[in-house]
Amino acid sequence: MNPRVTASVWGLLVTAVQIGLPLALRDRLPDPMATHWTVGDRPDGSMSFTGDVLAVTLFWVVPWIVALVTAVEGRTLSRRQGRMVWWGGLFGMGVFAVGMNAGIVMANLDVADWTRARLGGLHPLVVVVLACGVAALAGYLGRGERDAAPNGHREPPRLRLRAGERAVWVGHVSNPWLVLATAVAGGGLVVLLALYLVGVVQGGTVAGALPGLLVVLVAGLLTSTVSVRVSDGRVVIGLGPLRVPARRIPLSRISSAWSEDRYPSQVSGWGIRGLPGGATIMLRGGQCLVVEYRSGGRLAVSVDDAARGASLINALLAERVEP
Amino acid sequence: MLLTLDLNDARPLHEQVAGAIRRAIGDGSYAPGDRLPPARDLAGALGINSNTVLRALRDLRDEGLLEFRRGRGVTVAGRPAGQVAGRALLVQRTRELLEEAARYGYGRDDLITILEELP
Repeated sequence: MNPRVTASVWGLLVTAVQIGLPLALRDRLPDPMATHWTVGDRPDGSMSFTGDVLAVTLFWVVPWIVALVTAVEGRTLSRRQGRMVWWGGLFGMGVFAVGMNAGIVMANLDVADWTRARLGGLHPLVVVVLACGVAALAGYLGRGERDAAPNGHREPPRLRLRAGERAVWVGHVSNPWLVLATAVAGGGLVVLLALYLVGVVQGGTVAGALPGLLVVLVAGLLTSTVSVRVSDGRVVIGLGPLRVPARRIPLSRISSAWSEDRYPSQVSGWGIRGLPGGATIMLRGGQCLVVEYRSGGRLAVSVDDAARGASLINALLAERVEP
Repeated sequence: MLLTLDLNDARPLHEQVAGAIRRAIGDGSYAPGDRLPPARDLAGALGINSNTVLRALRDLRDEGLLEFRRGRGVTVAGRPAGQVAGRALLVQRTRELLEEAARYGYGRDDLITILEELP
């Protein structure tokens, strides 16, 4: 399946439904229409008919255009993880948008005015479950070949170790934007708590802002900088400015290493991405050190000077005396 | 940054570390303006004290090979790439040559004589 053709056809189909469904039933819909419901199935938001059609159409068209642009650009689809997220997102989002549109139209059908529209508690749940199911299926079907010889794969230069010499490698990378976001979240948290303690802001505001700030702070502390070192028969990946937590991989578990170019668009974003066995610690696009385990899994970490690190790992592996 | 230390080297540790960093910059792993890994990471990998690494870094700064910048950490000095790296490598090799000469009983002046005899 050509992703661009499929995405175009599917996108046009969904767009047609988004616009066509409310238009076809226009005489049976109130104007304005209920578009938002609160607890207890009470409508608490409305939009004019035109506004609603525009909203549900844009809700689909914007992600669709993003998907088309990423497909044309091509980098995302070059890796399995990127393909799964792309296909899953394209079809899951489409089903979700159509389901939402259909729900609004069905709730508003034949009611005198929007305050009487009833959505039914089950409908949103069905739409979400259906969308997730379709996304998972589309992601699975669109996964394609395993990343065998990945793009930008570089055979690291061979390194010869001399007797009586100790070799270590240290790689480091830090993303200034993630550091900034972490600092802003940390600062915001301190200011918020201080304002709360002196009584300027209410407990409700604090409770609303706290989870978001905490998530950014913790994620930032874990993944704004990373340091990798190869020494003493193991590879140690230290996360965050404190280098804690650290992942220690004994060389006995590694079968080979190389450097490879990977980008956030291919691994669906920054941070620790993917599942164990195919994970990437992504801080910035570009050179990554990839370690392949004897069990077949791989771990990639974006780090400067990765080729030299890979060379040292391979040289140390070649020198190992197998038990 | 790939660092190699000679286990039989009798020189003070900070000199050995400075030599290792000089070689790493000399063989082209770092371009001018590139940031070095933090001293504590280098120290951790080598299993030595951070202060020893910092002393080596300060020595290299005094040589003009490194720059210390507030907020940017330690960077390779911004002179033309080949020049800095090449000179650093030559200095390092010459040091090693001097040591090897000493093992055979030749001094600095003997080496200079040998250099002058070369075509």
